[in-house]
Amino acid sequence: MTIFTLDEVEKIFTNGEIEENILKGISLSLKEGEITALVGTSGSGKSTLLTIAAGLQPASNGEVLFDGNNLTTMSAEQVRKIRAKEFGFVFQFAHLVPFLTVEEQLMLMLEVSGSTLSKKEQKNEVDQILDVIGMKHRKNAYPSSLSGGEKQRVAVARAIIHKPKVLFADEPTASLDSKRSKDMMELIRDLTKKMNITTLMVTHDEEMLSYVDRILQMSDGLVLESQ
Amino acid sequence: MNIGWKEIKKNKSRFLILGSIVFLVSLLTMIISGLANGLSQDNAALIKDLPDGHFYMSEDAEETYNLSRIDTDVQNEIMNKHPDAVALSIQMGFLNDQDDKQQSVAFVTSTNSDLFEQVNKGEVIVDRSLKEKGIKTGDRLTNNQLRDELVIKGFVDQKKFSHAPVAYINMEDYKKMYNVEQMQIVFIPGEDSSESFTGLQSYSNKDFLSTIPSYNAEQMSLTMIVSFLIVISGMLFAIFFYMMNIQKIGLYGILKAIGIKTSRLFKMIWTQMFFITIIALTLSISLSHLFNLIAPKGMPFHLTIETTTQLSIIFLVVGFIGATLSGLQIRKIEPLRAIQQGED
Repeated sequence: MTIFTLDEVEKIFTNGEIEENILKGISLSLKEGEITALVGTSGSGKSTLLTIAAGLQPASNGEVLFDGNNLTTMSAEQVRKIRAKEFGFVFQFAHLVPFLTVEEQLMLMLEVSGSTLSKKEQKNEVDQILDVIGMKHRKNAYPSSLSGGEKQRVAVARAIIHKPKVLFADEPTASLDSKRSKDMMELIRDLTKKMNITTLMVTHDEEMLSYVDRILQMSDGLVLESQ
Repeated sequence: MNIGWKEIKKNKSRFLILGSIVFLVSLLTMIISGLANGLSQDNAALIKDLPDGHFYMSEDAEETYNLSRIDTDVQNEIMNKHPDAVALSIQMGFLNDQDDKQQSVAFVTSTNSDLFEQVNKGEVIVDRSLKEKGIKTGDRLTNNQLRDELVIKGFVDQKKFSHAPVAYINMEDYKKMYNVEQMQIVFIPGEDSSESFTGLQSYSNKDFLSTIPSYNAEQMSLTMIVSFLIVISGMLFAIFFYMMNIQKIGLYGILKAIGIKTSRLFKMIWTQMFFITIIALTLSISLSHLFNLIAPKGMPFHLTIETTTQLSIIFLVVGFIGATLSGLQIRKIEPLRAIQQGED
């Protein structure tokens, strides 16, 4: 079932009198529970496409349809609500809140997403996911005492603790070594499959492509091929 | 979850530094306000303690009470019309104590009124500060311009004029000392608006205080210092939070990306601002009031609860404005920028 559709999406940046067409009318659909990777050279527009799909910046033309909602016609507040409740994000760096413990990072995400669970249920939820990512013993640790791999695992947990419908991952393994990158991709794949989360991921690392269901090759603002 | 409080807990030293600065600035402001009020009381407690009303001096006195002479007929007219009105005179002078030591005083005499101490001829009531200089009830004091002695009948608290203790004397003694028949000033308490009397000019309590030599200059200087300190504290907040916000642009961007409302980020810095300010103010109020108790007796220091409350409210408002101004940049932060930049 299609959960996400981009229809003739264009993005034009204006720098003085110069107009640069970063995305030149991209159309694609994401199926529920599927992991899709956007690959391509630097400047091909893959990160721009990901951020437009995630509602982090508007498209110049075209439509972004998520679960029946047209993000391009929604107010910023409506988009924010969808981002908080229905989307999860993993970035190149973990970007954890430095003054919150691992447990508090996840509790905050549940709160932001408008979770209706009681505090006790939220704590149980946090314990469960920390158990899955092997970080339960570090739940009271602050980010400054975590390794790069641990931080990224917490970032993944934060991205999915509220059971989003779509996970956006922008180079989630770029700051990790080869072994940790594979572990991270395995974790993302296992969790998203288990929770039926649709994933759109940007990556440069070809080794990571074995973990995805579908690859979209981008070049010069266009999707060239779908594998 | 109160993320503002969590940040304070994690970064204690950072917030302790800001809190210490706010504490020191607010303490300095309270102490200077205490001194300003103290000097103001020392200069004009006699007038400041009067109820609101209007003062009248002769037009030709050029706003100088020393030069004012109220025509007796006009005075009688006013007193008949306003039974609670009082005619008074004030003159700086000296009293020689029993050891022949000269004490500077402000002689005050008035017509019958509850607003001023009334004494019989040959008696004087003085401000209690003279008691600390060894003068006791029953002492016989002299004045170079008065042949008769003046007997100390009692003391009053906090009655000063032009930095000198007030000495209430009988009108007959006053007339003999200064060889005058007319009073300098008429005061009508409780008047909302001034009246017009032939040859007299009216002054509100505040306007009359301004006619006291040096009062305005003294108060303006101190008020300026207090105002600057308040502005500086506001700027401190703005600069401190601005610097902190600059360091946290990435974090704010990520928080926005995951769906946190901008208003919640504002609440975070307001919580921090109020927490720091309230603790700093509690400490500075406690210390300044302690200073009020232990300040040397000769130091004109007068800090009231009203003044500290007013200053605290001003500090909170200024801190709020400072923190809010610094937080305006949060609104402009794009989540995208945070995602594209590296981790701190």
